[in-house]
Amino acid sequence: MAQPIMKQLAAMRLDKRLVQLVLSLLALVAITFVIGRMLPTDPVGSIVGELADPRAYAAMRERLGLDKPVAEQFLLYFWHLLQGDLGVAALTGNSVSDDLWHAFPATLELATLAIVLSVIVGVPLGLLAALKRDSWVDQLIRVISLVGHSVPVFWLGMIGLLVFYAGLQLVGGPGRIDVFYEGLVPPVTGMILIDSLLAGDMEIFQNALTHIILPASMLAYSAMAYITRMTRSFTLEQLSQDYVTAARAKGVSPAGTLYRHVLPNIAVQLITVIAISYGGLLEGAVVTEIVFSWPGIGQYMTSALLIGDINAVVAATIVIGIAFMLLNFLSDIAYQLLDPRTREAN
Amino acid sequence: MATRTAKSAFVRNCLATTVLATMAALAAASPAAAKTPADTLVYGTSLAQVISLDPHQGQESTALEVMANLYDRLVSSDASGKLSPQLAEKWDIDDKGITFHLKDATFNGSGNPVTAEDMVWSIRRVIKLSQAPAAKLGSVGYNAGNIDSLTRAIDDKTFWIGLTGKVAADFLLYRLSEVAASVIDSKTVMAHAKDSDFGNDWLRTHSAGSGPFDLQRWAPNDIIILSAAKNYWGPAARMKRVVMRHVPESQAERLMLEQGDIDIAGSLSPADIAYFADKKEVKVEKVPTGGFYVMAMNVTAEPLSKPKVREAILHAIDFDGIQKSIMGPYGVKRLVPVPADYEGAIPDPDVKYDPALARKLLAEAGYPDGFSTTIKTIAQTPRVELATAIQASLADIGIQAQVLQGSGADIVGDHRARKFDILIPQTGAYMPNAMGAMEQFTSNPDNSLAANNAGNFVWRSGWDIPELTALTAKIMTENDASKRVGMYEQLQHMFVDAVPAVQPMFERYLPIAIAADVHGYKGHPQQVTRVDQVTKSE
Repeated sequence: MAQPIMKQLAAMRLDKRLVQLVLSLLALVAITFVIGRMLPTDPVGSIVGELADPRAYAAMRERLGLDKPVAEQFLLYFWHLLQGDLGVAALTGNSVSDDLWHAFPATLELATLAIVLSVIVGVPLGLLAALKRDSWVDQLIRVISLVGHSVPVFWLGMIGLLVFYAGLQLVGGPGRIDVFYEGLVPPVTGMILIDSLLAGDMEIFQNALTHIILPASMLAYSAMAYITRMTRSFTLEQLSQDYVTAARAKGVSPAGTLYRHVLPNIAVQLITVIAISYGGLLEGAVVTEIVFSWPGIGQYMTSALLIGDINAVVAATIVIGIAFMLLNFLSDIAYQLLDPRTREAN
Repeated sequence: MATRTAKSAFVRNCLATTVLATMAALAAASPAAAKTPADTLVYGTSLAQVISLDPHQGQESTALEVMANLYDRLVSSDASGKLSPQLAEKWDIDDKGITFHLKDATFNGSGNPVTAEDMVWSIRRVIKLSQAPAAKLGSVGYNAGNIDSLTRAIDDKTFWIGLTGKVAADFLLYRLSEVAASVIDSKTVMAHAKDSDFGNDWLRTHSAGSGPFDLQRWAPNDIIILSAAKNYWGPAARMKRVVMRHVPESQAERLMLEQGDIDIAGSLSPADIAYFADKKEVKVEKVPTGGFYVMAMNVTAEPLSKPKVREAILHAIDFDGIQKSIMGPYGVKRLVPVPADYEGAIPDPDVKYDPALARKLLAEAGYPDGFSTTIKTIAQTPRVELATAIQASLADIGIQAQVLQGSGADIVGDHRARKFDILIPQTGAYMPNAMGAMEQFTSNPDNSLAANNAGNFVWRSGWDIPELTALTAKIMTENDASKRVGMYEQLQHMFVDAVPAVQPMFERYLPIAIAADVHGYKGHPQQVTRVDQVTKSE
C-alpha cells in the first residue's frame, strides 16, 4: 500500500509545488513589508512616549532601523529572515519568533477545534438538506446556514457569552483558563488542551475545555454554515447525475447511493472547502479572539497594527500565509490521491 | 417502502450524529465554577500597550500600575498629593539639593540591602537609558551631562541629589515619587547586563525591586501575575497574588465582573460603566487624573492662527451639552488647565455657548462663510464621540470639519510633526498640584520649527507664548509655596486671555468598576496605585 502512495506522490511533481510555495512566500513577505513601511504609522511614539524629546525619539528610530531607506530596510529584514531571525517586536520587546511561538498555538487550538466541530455538524447537515430537498428540513437547515454566514461574529460572540456564560453558566468566561489554574501546566505544545493531557491533569483539561468550547463553537458556526451550504450544493449536483439514477434503478437505497457513490465524488470538492474554511479560521479569528480575550495570533496582530509594529505584522502574516499555503498544498495532495483524473492531468 | 425506510434511517443517523456532536461538546463543558480566589485580586483591563516592565522604560498607564507595586521610590504621594517617605526615612532640603536618609530596606529575591549606591545607580540609569522616563527627569533639568555630578552616595544610607536650578525642591520630590524614579537592585540587574543596556533586556520581563510584590509571570497580551514578596521589608501584602488579565472588550469585561471572574474592571465603555450605576454588587470609582481632554489647534497657519477664529470656535461648542450626553463618568467641563479642586485654581471662565456670537467673530476674522478643516483623534472612547460633537458644533457656524480617526501611532506621530489642523489629545498631571497639570499648557521655550521640540505639548500647536513661558519658569523655581498660589492664578488668567491654541475642555477621569467585596482600592491619579493593603471580604 505504501509503495503505490509513494509512487503517486512522486508523480505529483512535489518539487515544482515546493518551488511555487517558496516563491509565493517571497512575494508575500515583500508585499507585506512594503505596504507596512508605506503606512503612515509611527511605532517610535508608542515606545518612547508622547513626551519624549527628539534625541530619545531619534535614538529609538535608529535602534529600530527606521532611519534607513525602505529598500535597505527590506534587504536587511530579508537577510535576517533567511537566518531565521524575524526581528524584535516593538509591541512586546521580545523576539517576534518567541511571541509567535506563544500566540500561534492558541489560535491553532481554537481554529482546529472549530473546524472539527464545523465538519462534524456541517457535512451531515448538508447531506441531509440535499436528501430532503425543498422539505421543511431543508428550509430549516438553509436558514441556519444563512444566519451563520450573515451574522457578525462579534455579535454572535457577545450573545454566546450572555446566554451560555452569564445566563446559563454552562461554560467558562473569556480567557483560556481560570485564574486559579494559571501557570500550573508546563507549556509543551502551547495548546492547553494537549498540554494538560500530557501532564495528566484532567481538572485543568476540563477547565480549559469549558473556556474553549464557546469561542470554538462561535467560530465553528460560521464555518459550518459555509460547509453545509457547499455540501448541499455538491450533493444536489451529483444526485442529478445519470450514475445516481442508474444506481437507484439497480435497487441501491438512497443512503447507499449517498455513501457509496455520491460521497466519494464530492470528497475532492469538500476537502477544498474544508481547507479554505480552516485557513479562514486561522486568519479570521481576530474578532473572536478579542471578544473572548484569546491571546492568539489575531489579537497579537491587531495590537501590533495599532502601534505600527511592522516586524510583528509581517511575521504574523508570514505565519498565516505559510499555514494557508500548507493547507492548500496538503489539500492538493489529498485530492490527487483521491481523484485519479487530477494525477493524469499532471 | 424499503426505500422510504432506508431514507428515514439515514435521516435519523444524520440527526443523531449532529445531536451527539453538540451534546458531546456541551457535556464536556461543566458549569463555570470559577470565582476569583479569596487571596487573589484579579484586575481586568487592556494590556495591549504594555511593552516593558522595566520602570526606567515602560510608561503605559497599566504598566505603571504594575511597576508601582514591584518597586519602591524614595518618596511616595497619596491620591490627594500628600508626600510621604517610602525608602527614605526623612530628607533635608537646602539651596543646593536634597539629602535623603534611608530606611533599612532590602531587595526582594536577592536580599541585598537597599543602599545609597543603588539610588545613585538607578537615577543615573534613567537618564543614560534614554527611554520615555528620561524625559520626565529631563523636564526638571537632569541630563547626561549633569547627572553624575548631581547624584552622590554620601554613605551607605545617605543619598544626595543636587538641584538643577530649573525647579524648586518640592517639585523635584514629586518627580522622585513617580515610577520613573524607582529604585532598582543594581547588583542583580547588572549581573544580567549586555553590551551597554544596563540590564534593560532582562529587566523588561523580570523584577528586581523592593516593593510588596514580585513579578511572577508576564505573557504579553494575555496576563501579568504578581506574587506577594516573601521577604518584603515592609508590612506584608494582604493578597497572595495580583492578576492582571487582558480583556480588551468592554462588554466581555462587564460580564466577567458580574460573574465574579474579575474583581476590578479597568477599561469599560461609558455604557458599561452606566450599567453598574445602581448595582449594589459593584461600585464605580472615578479616578481623577489631574489631566484634561484637550482641543489642540495648529496655529502655524491661517485661519486657526487668528485668535478671533479660536474664540469663535470656543463659543460654537456646547460644552455643557457634551458633558451631559457624552462625557458622563469620563470628564467634567473645565476650560482652564488646573483641576477645580487644586490649590490656586481659578473659577472656570464665563464662556457662553453662543453660535450667533461665534458666527459674528468668524466674520470679523475674515471668514463670514466659514472654512474647511480636519479634526484628528485616536479612535478611542470618548475622544471619537467628542470629535464628532465638535464637528457638529462647528458645522453650525459654517466650519466644515472632517473627522479623521487613527491609531495612537498615527495620531501621535502627526501631533508631534505638527501635521494637523485640530486634534483631540489628552493630558495627565505628573504631580497633583497646579503646575503638575498646567506646565504642559503654558511653556514653550522655543517655538521655531528648527527647535523640533516635539515632546513639548504647546510646540506641537506652534503656539508662541514667551510671557507665559517666562512666568511658568519663574513659578517652577519659586521655593515659597504660598507665593506660588498667587502666581498660579496669574498664569491661568494670562492663559485664558491669550485665547489658547491648546484648549482644555474637560477635566479627565478614569472610571473603574470594583466588586463590592473588594476593600481598600484607591486609584491614584499618577498611576502609582498600591494594592498591597487591598482586601476581599468572604
